[in-house]
Amino acid sequence: MEQLGDSAIVAASSRDPEAFGELFRRHAPRLHAYVKRRLGAALADDIVAETFATAFRQRERFDGRAEFGAWLWGIAGNVIAKHHRQETRMFRAFARTGVDPAEDGVAELVSDRVHAAAHAPRLAKALASLSAQDRSAILLLAWEELSYAEIAAILNLPLGTVKAKIHRARTKLRKALPGENNDG
Amino acid sequence: MDELDALRQMRTSLAHQESPDVLALRAGRRPAPPRRLRLRVPAVSLLATAALVAATLAAVSLPSDVDRPVPPAAEAAPGNALLVAAANVRTDPAGTYWHTSRVSGRIYAIGTDAADHYKVESRLRYDHWTGRSGQACSAVRDLPARPWSARDRQHWQRAGSPAKVRVPSGATLFFEAPDREPACRPTRDQRFYGMTPRQLAALPTEPERLKNALLDLEGDWKAYAPKVTKQPIRALKGEPRVRALSDVAGTLLALAPTPPAVRAAAYRMLATLPGVRIEGDTTDPLGRAGVAISLPLETTIPLGLSTAPRQLGTYRRQWIINPAGGTLLAMRDLVATPPRGSRTLPPGDDGKPRRLTAATQPDRFHRPGEVSAYETYEGEWTDVAPR
Repeated sequence: MEQLGDSAIVAASSRDPEAFGELFRRHAPRLHAYVKRRLGAALADDIVAETFATAFRQRERFDGRAEFGAWLWGIAGNVIAKHHRQETRMFRAFARTGVDPAEDGVAELVSDRVHAAAHAPRLAKALASLSAQDRSAILLLAWEELSYAEIAAILNLPLGTVKAKIHRARTKLRKALPGENNDG
Repeated sequence: MDELDALRQMRTSLAHQESPDVLALRAGRRPAPPRRLRLRVPAVSLLATAALVAATLAAVSLPSDVDRPVPPAAEAAPGNALLVAAANVRTDPAGTYWHTSRVSGRIYAIGTDAADHYKVESRLRYDHWTGRSGQACSAVRDLPARPWSARDRQHWQRAGSPAKVRVPSGATLFFEAPDREPACRPTRDQRFYGMTPRQLAALPTEPERLKNALLDLEGDWKAYAPKVTKQPIRALKGEPRVRALSDVAGTLLALAPTPPAVRAAAYRMLATLPGVRIEGDTTDPLGRAGVAISLPLETTIPLGLSTAPRQLGTYRRQWIINPAGGTLLAMRDLVATPPRGSRTLPPGDDGKPRRLTAATQPDRFHRPGEVSAYETYEGEWTDVAPR
């Protein structure tokens, strides 16, 4: 079967809504995993559904000049931002208790985890102090391994602003780690 | 460690991607969008959602006999294995002596670089007998060091099967040890974290009350501190408090002549501690089957003994329990982040500056998830007198 580009599918979906399902197949797994990591499995299904519903509703606005992925992730970012305070509360609870609310019901299933991430509660405390955009910028970098340019496209910000945000976030996170004077 | 690396290690259990079919089914199975969306989103988007769901369902091809995604494997409630262990604590009639045998192992890297090294396990065995009237004796025995894995054994043999090796901290490990049982030396006033067997017997048997009693326990609970500070566990917050409580619980379960009802309460208390996770089936270093319970630790050094840090990595401590027998079989420390770099230490006795460097760490070539140290436990009531 001919592999259509995302933009072609979006265009086709204006006449044939079922074509949009292919975009879900292509993009939902990674987006869902990222949202899970930010807000936990309980919210992830809803947020991904809302993101695709919004994208489908606004598909006429997608002009094909940007990557569809960046456009979709931008929409997801707006939906995630609506849960900014909820996310902050979860990070704070993690920092306070050592139990990550986002991992509720998940960790027990994963018997092969090797990374205990002993620093995670400290990082969570620092993440709780970041603004919505700073937090998104640093997590897109760390968890999704995206480039500064891709992050700028998703957040719809100039490249220089993204660099400044990531620098600021990294400084805060570094201070949260123990042994700041480690010279290694 | 770099802060980005640290972030990457956070919530890795959530980062795996699910198949689009399963995600589409979960989106489609929901009868209506959740209330929060329904209130906020205008009606048109419901139609769009419906269209989207129809589209995604049409787009995925499913085996006809599947009408819903496979539910995740039966999910153990947190603490489940601990609660099973609590229900199964042994109630053997107490004998004349409570005898425990503990093997303490540490894994050392031998070699000068990560690519070309092998790992050796040093082992010490500690035997303790505690009589019913409080008299006690103990014996320590050096067990021969041995290569850690089959691969390490081959590497050691290629190196000419040396009878002894030096490790960077200056110690020497011997692959042969005298084959005689050491005498049991009397120890006066046998105590477990300051508690006599009589006090152990009086501990509460209800988990919350046990925890409360242990929080009042005075001791030096810092992993390292320039000065000794005696304080109750209650004075600690967060991770240090969990570490101290879990250390005491470990001693109650593995080493002390603790009454069965207090053991059961200790298991239940452990299940409530933040950060404690059930991990799944495993075998302990003696090959016994059990379930791993884990707790992240910044350092695994014993509490109250050090004036300065001694480690540069971070760790995850696994408790291996036998739920059916209600016993704590072993503890195993896995490297979470390998040691790297160095750290300034306070000046030593000679007043000269000191540094802690990764080059002297036994686990300097460990990868995350590899074992850095362990202890195995066996305990029984016996009428056989110590040798």
